[in-house]
Amino acid sequence: MFLLEHHGKELLASHGIAVPAGAFVSSGGDPQALALPDGPLMVKAQIAAGGRGKAGLVRAAASRTEATRIVGQLESTGANGKPIHGFRIEQRIDFIREAYVSLSVDAKAARIRLMVAPEGGVDVEAAATQRSILSDPEGLPQAVKQLCATLPPDMRAVLHDASMRLADAFLRHEATLLEINPLFIVAGGRFVAGDVKLVIDDNAIPRQPAIRALLEQHPGIYPEAARKLAHGFDYVEVDPQGEIGLITTGAGLSMQLIDELKSQGCRPLNFCDIRSGQFRGDPARLVAAMRWIAARRTVRVVLVNIFAGITDLAEFARLLVQAAAQVPELRVPIVARLIGRNLDDARQILDASALAVTLEPGLDRAVGLTLAALDANGAHRG
Amino acid sequence: MQTARTVDSALFDPTVPVIVQGITGRAGRIHAQLMQTYGTRLVGGVAANATASRQPVAGIPVFASCREAVAATGARASLLMVPPFQVRAAVDDALAGGVELLVCVTEGVPVHDAIAAVRQARERDAVLVGPSTPGLAVPGRMKIGFLPDAALMAGPLGVMSKSGTLSYELCYRLARRGVGQSLWIGVGGDAVKGARFADLVPLFRLHQETAALLVIGEIGGTEEEDLAEALLRERFAKPVFALLAGTTAPEGITMGHAGALIHGTRGTAASKIAALAAAGVRVHATMRAIVADIVQRLRADR
Repeated sequence: MFLLEHHGKELLASHGIAVPAGAFVSSGGDPQALALPDGPLMVKAQIAAGGRGKAGLVRAAASRTEATRIVGQLESTGANGKPIHGFRIEQRIDFIREAYVSLSVDAKAARIRLMVAPEGGVDVEAAATQRSILSDPEGLPQAVKQLCATLPPDMRAVLHDASMRLADAFLRHEATLLEINPLFIVAGGRFVAGDVKLVIDDNAIPRQPAIRALLEQHPGIYPEAARKLAHGFDYVEVDPQGEIGLITTGAGLSMQLIDELKSQGCRPLNFCDIRSGQFRGDPARLVAAMRWIAARRTVRVVLVNIFAGITDLAEFARLLVQAAAQVPELRVPIVARLIGRNLDDARQILDASALAVTLEPGLDRAVGLTLAALDANGAHRG
Repeated sequence: MQTARTVDSALFDPTVPVIVQGITGRAGRIHAQLMQTYGTRLVGGVAANATASRQPVAGIPVFASCREAVAATGARASLLMVPPFQVRAAVDDALAGGVELLVCVTEGVPVHDAIAAVRQARERDAVLVGPSTPGLAVPGRMKIGFLPDAALMAGPLGVMSKSGTLSYELCYRLARRGVGQSLWIGVGGDAVKGARFADLVPLFRLHQETAALLVIGEIGGTEEEDLAEALLRERFAKPVFALLAGTTAPEGITMGHAGALIHGTRGTAASKIAALAAAGVRVHATMRAIVADIVQRLRADR
């Protein structure tokens, strides 16, 4: 889960890490009403992605009036298709130098990569990689000490302090990435986190109360993580104007199915790994996925794909019928590719139901039926 | 710096004695019986929870710890079927008990717990497969995990996969066309894991029964790029076929598998396809195409 900069800064501030004084204004809100410090300001569009500086989404403003004007401008130009969730308007920091600190999980080494550089900026990462250390979590204090010893003498103490505090926050919140670029060094040997890029491990969220609270407050900003926390499975909308709703089990097969549908000129609405093996007789996950799909009026057909190693397909079929009864607003045909145990019973259950469903055990043929349903419903491919 | 050890082929011996950690859970019970039926030498189970029943499951004795289970049964491998937040403790238990091969099917293990588990396994010189793997199999002989019987068939194709379901689909189609598997290892879709593609190259190179290799990769991370390097370094001479899922996935969004995440230019399909192709791998875009190619090649080789 990639936190908005504003949320990352609030989290770090709660651990006593200095960030520029600032406030958040939602899209369409009025910056004039915010409690802002006097003096020059920065306006920073809040999107869940990096590269904002280069994209012109971080702008200086001499005054509150100018900040208001910039917010209006950025709202109309947008962020290259990515939704802007609001703006952080904050004090512009009067710094002596810029530096860089990051911690990240190195998947291959299964260790933490610590980078500390005595300069900041948009292209510092490549240079900083040259002087990074891989460390076990318990070894981070030693790694910080070792890296800081290579820095110019006047920066050692402040970057040591910053790195230790950031390492603590990184581990405490089970982050996979925490990057501060720039890290401002200000008068008095102190530092201020100029930007915060913070990615939290999705799997740790259930035991991270602060992150859970954030998700519960802002499900619209973090829809994938909020859905997963609330419903226990993965559902990602990949095309809001998609025509094919997918109810599928298995991340790899679901991704591959999306790739192949797209390559045939179709528009799948969503990725889905519903994990049919975890239903335990409850149609709740199917109901949730059907509701999300039904909410998109461009959908013309639903493709279900379950390769059941263990799942009893008869039970799955029963749950599918139950779920559909709870989502009457889903009025498109369903193609169900089911393969595995009790297929014949599943067929009888689906045939006996009022559901507009076609059962097909072969995936290629099921995809063919899905495309035929699209054409029959007047969609244009290509 | 520590390096991932090379997976020891002896551990994929079809007669290796196996225990199941979490055997008294719902999934543990089901899969213990299915594995036993398949031919796995299932010698015991562990229920670490103090209040859990230690009644045998389908005739399989249940112990309180791996140490007890190993002492009583001589188990060398363990299947971990415990909830995600209990994986760390289960790995500790298995390593303390002297288990050499740990297969962790649990999905949703926190990354920082996986980091600890991987390091502990390396320190003990044990092999960890997963987390988030459907398991591994010597088809026709044994399986550790829940690879579906419908897709398992003995044959010449080595399989390593980040994705469970996509490997089921491909192996099922191949089996129906007469191509079975020699050794099938799911490495799992998590970013931090035990055995990675590159670690398995020496094993498949030496594995006599393996005539060709099917690799099912995904966007994100550098595992496919590292694999390409290992294939060249090890002078891997058997044909290798690869399919990469997620080639059209949006940047910065996790698609079910924690490892399948693109940030910037790292982990993109283009980078992986280029690296694999340069190592002589036949990379395909669709399930139909890779199945057709494998069937044609392996039939022509006979």
